[in-house]
Parts: sequence; C-alpha cells; structure tokens
Amino acid sequence: MTDTVVETPALELVGLVKEFRGRRVVHELSLSVPRGSLYGVVGPNGAGKTTTLSMATGLLRPTAGVARVLGVDVWESPSRAKSLMGVSPDGMRLFEQLSGRELLRYVGSLRRMPAAVVDERSTELLDVLDLAGDAQTVVADYSAGMVKKISLAAALIHAPRLLVLDEPFEAVDPVSSEVVRTILRRYVASGGTVVMSSHVMELVQGLCDHVAVVAGGRVLAADAVTELTAGGSLHQRFLQLVGAAEVAHDGLGWLGAPDGDA
Amino acid sequence: MTRLIVRLRLTMWRTSMARSPLHLFSSIVGGLAALGIVLLLGPAIALLVLQPLEIRAATVPLFSFVTLMWVVLSLVAAGVDNMLDPTRFAVLPLGRRELGRGLLAAAYTGVPAVMLCLLALAQVIAWGARPATLVAALVAAVLGTMTAILASRAVTSVLARVMTSRSGRVIGAAVVSLATLLPLLLNLLIATDTLRTDLSTFDARASARATSWTPVGWAWALPFDVASGRWWVAAVHLALAVATVALLWWVWVAQLGRVLTSPMTSSGGQHIGRGRLLPLLLGRSPVATVATRRIRAWYRDSRLVGIALRTGVLPVFFVVQAVLTEVDALAGTGVVTLGIFAGLTLMNDLAFDGEAWWMHVSTGLRGWEDRLGRAIASFVVFGPVVLATYLVSWALGVIGSPVPWLSVVVASFLASLALAVGVGAVLPGTAPRTGGNPFAATSGGAAQGCLTALISFVGPVVLVVPVAWLAIVTSGHPVLRWVVLGGATAYGAALLVAGVVLGGRRLDRRAPEMLGQLAHAQL
Repeated sequence: MTDTVVETPALELVGLVKEFRGRRVVHELSLSVPRGSLYGVVGPNGAGKTTTLSMATGLLRPTAGVARVLGVDVWESPSRAKSLMGVSPDGMRLFEQLSGRELLRYVGSLRRMPAAVVDERSTELLDVLDLAGDAQTVVADYSAGMVKKISLAAALIHAPRLLVLDEPFEAVDPVSSEVVRTILRRYVASGGTVVMSSHVMELVQGLCDHVAVVAGGRVLAADAVTELTAGGSLHQRFLQLVGAAEVAHDGLGWLGAPDGDA
Repeated sequence: MTRLIVRLRLTMWRTSMARSPLHLFSSIVGGLAALGIVLLLGPAIALLVLQPLEIRAATVPLFSFVTLMWVVLSLVAAGVDNMLDPTRFAVLPLGRRELGRGLLAAAYTGVPAVMLCLLALAQVIAWGARPATLVAALVAAVLGTMTAILASRAVTSVLARVMTSRSGRVIGAAVVSLATLLPLLLNLLIATDTLRTDLSTFDARASARATSWTPVGWAWALPFDVASGRWWVAAVHLALAVATVALLWWVWVAQLGRVLTSPMTSSGGQHIGRGRLLPLLLGRSPVATVATRRIRAWYRDSRLVGIALRTGVLPVFFVVQAVLTEVDALAGTGVVTLGIFAGLTLMNDLAFDGEAWWMHVSTGLRGWEDRLGRAIASFVVFGPVVLATYLVSWALGVIGSPVPWLSVVVASFLASLALAVGVGAVLPGTAPRTGGNPFAATSGGAAQGCLTALISFVGPVVLVVPVAWLAIVTSGHPVLRWVVLGGATAYGAALLVAGVVLGGRRLDRRAPEMLGQLAHAQL
C-alpha cells in the first residue's frame, strides 16, 4: 500500500473468503484502510463490493478470513466492533413503519445513547440532510434518495469512528449529494474514516483520497487516488484494470429506429 | 401466452425449492398433508354414489363450505399464492385478459387448487349414477372451482386496492375480520336444519336446499337439483353460477388492468403523530424501544392490523355460542384459544421485520433484548384483550368455574408467548411483503408454515396440559385452586424467561445467518 501506517488501520480485511453453496464470490480479499482516509471501493456489478462490506460490518459471516475495525475483530467481539462503526448498507430495507425522526430515535436508543443527545442530533441531521419537512412521514413513503439520506443519518447518529457506506450517492439528487460530500469531508477532516463503495468513477476520483478496484471478488489495485490515476482519469484506469469488453461495432445493429421498412 | 405463464410459475416454484432445503421440506410436508386429505375425503365423497339422495345431498353444503373457506382463507393469507405478482408484468406488452387467462391457469397448478379439483372430481363420481346428474355434477365442478379461485383473486385484489390508503387499510382489515366469520354463519345455517348423528335418519336435503341459495352454493347445487327433479331450480342456479363466475372474472380483470397501468402502489405521504406516549410509558432502554416499535406496528402496519382484528374477533364467536347454547366450556375454550393465538402471533415477528432487521444486528443489540422487547409488545397489545374477553365472559356468567379457567388462560397465553419467542428465533416463518399486497402469500409460504403450524398446534397443548389437569383436579378446592392460579402464572413466566433467554442466545450466535434467512422471508 502507500504509506507505512504506525497505528492500526481503521478497517483491515485479511484473506476474506465468501462462498455461497460452494461457489466462491470473494477470493481471499485483503484490504487496509488507513485512519482518516476517505476510501473508495469501486468495481463492476457483481464484483463482490456489497458482500465484502457486509462481511466487514458483521452482517454476513465470512467463510474464512478476518475483519478488524480499529484493531477490534468484528467476528470475535461483534458488539465492540459495531459500537465503533456506522453502517449504511445498499438495498436493505429500513423499519418502514417508523417516521424519519422515529427511525433515528430508534437507532439512537438501540445504541444506548442518552435521549436528549439523540433528539438534538436527529434534529440537526434532519435539517442538514433536508429531511426536516418529512421528519413525521413514515419511511415507507420516502423516495429512494430520501431513504439513502435517512440511512446515512442513522449511521452517523452515534458519531462513529468508522463509516461504512454502500453506494451512498445512489439516487441522491445533486444538491443533497453535495451536502453529503461536505459532511463526509468534514467528518474525515475531524479524524473519522469513511469506506464507501460506488461505481461512479468521477465521484470517487473527486471525493476519495484512496481507492481500491475490486472485480470478481479480488482486489485488482489499491492505492492513493493520485498514484493510481497518475494524471489520467480513474475511469480509464478502471476500464484498463477490469478489462472492459468493447461492444463490437457491428453488434446490436438492429437496435435503433428502422430506416424505411427494415 | 397462457402456457408460458404456467411454465414460469412452475419454474419459480422449482427454483424456490432448490434454493432452500427448509422450503423443499415444508413443501413436501404440505403436499403430503394435502394428499392425505384427498385420500381420506376423496373416496368418502365418491362412495356417496352408493347412498340415497338424502345423504348424497351432503355434497352441496360440504362444497359450499369448502368454496367459502377457500375465499376466507385466501384473505387470511394462506390459500392464494401471489408468486406471480401481476405488477411484475406491468412492463410487458400484455393485455389484461391475456394475463388474466394465464394467471388463472397458473392458479390451478398450486397444491390447494389441485386438491380442490380432485375433491370436485370425487363429487362428480358421487353423482355419477345417472347421466343427467353426472353432467350436472361435471358442470358444477367446473363452475364451483372457478368460483372459488376467481373469488379469492377478485376479493384479494379489490381489497389490496382499498388498502393502499391508511383509512382504507382499517376498512379492509375490518372487512376481512368479518369475512372470517362467514363460515361460522354458514355453519349455523347448516346446523339450524336438524342434523342428526344417526346415519339412518340423516337427511342432508334441508341443509342442501338452504346452502344452495348462497352464492357459494349455486354451482354445487346443480346435481342435487337435477336429481330431485327440480329442473327450473337447476336452471336458475346454473344462470346464477355462470353470472357469478362472469362477474368475478370481470372484477378481477378490471383490477389486473388497473395494476398493469399503475403498478406503483402509493399511500402518498403518510404523516403520523410524534408518538410521545409510548416512550413515556415504557422508557427508552433498548428493550423498551423495540417494544415501542412493535406496538406501533400493530396499528400502523396493515399486515398486522388484520391479524390483530381477526385474533380478537374469533373468540367472540365462542362466547356468543356459549351464551346461545349455554355450554360454558365453549366460552372458556374461546378465551384459551384467544390466549394461544395472541401468544403465537409473535412466531413470525422477525419475518414481518424482514431484512430491515439488519438495524438490530448492526447496532449490536443483544438477542435477549430483541426477544424481550417483542414479548412485551405482544403482552401490552393482547394482554388486555385476553383479560377483557375473560372478564366479559365471566360477567355474562358463561364461565362456570372462573378460577381454574383463569389459570388455564394465563398459562396458555404466557406459554404460547414463550414458545413463539423461542421458536421464532430459529424459524422466522414468512410474512407478506412490506408495502406490497397485504394478502399475498405463496403456497410455498403456506407449506413452510406447516412446520411452524405443527409446532403451534402441538406446542401450546403440551405446555398447557399439566396446568389444565391441575386446574381440573383442584377446581372444587377453595384454597388449592388459587394456589394453582399462582403456580400457573409463575410457570408461564418461567417459560417466558426461558424462551427469551434461549431465543436470545440463538440470535446472538446466528444473527448473520438469520439475516440471510430473513432476506427471503417476505413473499
């Protein structure tokens, strides 16, 4: 990796393996996320990003391997590890019968936070994320982007030291997206660490300082963004690494408006 | 297209069984149970061909009852499978009639539907002695099964539409609760005409005539009408039965058309109060927080509102019957049944949460806190209902020996809560999808339910029998019966603690695996 880190990394994955019914989807994946970094995990669809992040956050038991959060083994002492991190998985539902405010209060109480602190922080989070107007609306009636934002708020409420976000910008509008970026940058500046997955290269290049390219359940490259891109764009580097199949020029010729009676 | 949809249905069935051994196992159990019913009932019905008309007429009330039960059970989310959710076809260029035909044909491939058809064929044999009645029975079988299947489709799709809004949900839940009472009404209708146990004097003709004038009986009455030579009645019944099928088809296709053009069900910004009362009463510890959320779900979640109402309404019938017949054991049994049902509602609590349960996992909530919170919620919601039903029955004077009955009621409520809280941590069961059709359930789900159903039936009985025995033995004793009441309460509480601790440990150990199971728990 880049620099030699003296302190334990914020997130360390060592030889993570996941098999579903004998089919291996994550192959001895190792990754080290230095403290205070904004770490992007990029990869094509089905690369194993979500599977890896689930194993790192204690939501999916790995077949083999170790995941450590600030030196705490996620699978040896799950409670301690979980108290250190905030998680926002992609595509998993929330408790939809609760309103946005109730959801934040719920998570806060489960994390044993004092009620006054929870209330204060929820109000602030709802304000900043432009959800204050819908604080009393049940999450079932939220749009996809709003669900992403309330999920992020729920991950932030206990001021975790590590934030693991799966596709945090999916379906989020440009205005809110800028707000989220500002929040993440500020959070990292004050000593927090963010691990986020995405398949939008421009976003990762503009926001993250480190990036890992994952495909087929393996890490193809992991480095500081500036090193990896070396002046070029992350987009091109990514396509190079993953080995994108080009659509042949004569393929799919039938697609498009027919000329005359084609 | 019809063949394609049927094939799709069968493929989905096969893959869902291949994905989960539990699903496969429970499907086999469900299939065997269905086969057993057919093998038992089928020949019994077919052999009616040897009996005189007054006994053979029993097919009319019997099949009317089956048809009604079919519709009612589909409301209770057990009979109908919605594996082929019409909304999934919305992006395809399909006409609603085309889709309707395909889905109807696919509906006939489910285990319960095959069972119904086989029994209907047995009915044809029963009337097979004369060509005229044979033809009538054949027509009856076709129209009768179509009435059952179409009615369940039409009713559930209409209700699902009604229940997209919040007030509609309450109305729908009320309608469903009332609908579950229909079989009992039909039962009264049949029973009012003297039903003798002595086979030699058994005469089903009166109840056949009574049920033949209900919508579910029109079709099934045809062979009986023909056999008794009432041709004009047969003609009226035929016309009514055909009209029913046509009407149901029209309603269902209209609903399909609506679903195909607006697949997004929206309840449009459901605003709710700030909800300050419950946290005030229960506190804000993790256990209380879980309990608060579950209590709220009992009145916010349309899937649960229906269950709550049905659970509460069913025992009322026992009590009413006890008042009418003056058999006091009926009222007591009613309250005990309520206690057991109320406790068991907790069984698939996790399935109702579904994947959202990850929030419990990622916040590091302990298993026992999860279990205890849910148990408290069910206790707060159903405890007063059970108690009120008991007190009302007692005030009406239909509970003969109040103290022993109370012992059994307390023990059965707490024991079923304990059972559900423990077993629910191993077998999460299934639930309708969040925000989807509240009446949707797959036949696979119903079959998987077989295993839990078995536990639900046998478990409470085994746990409560010792208490019941002691209560009966001491019922005459002025002091001991109170001791038994105290003992029953302590026993129930001990079981509950055991359920919470064991279930909690199981969740602590296997939370990620449970999360994986829950990903497929909503159908």
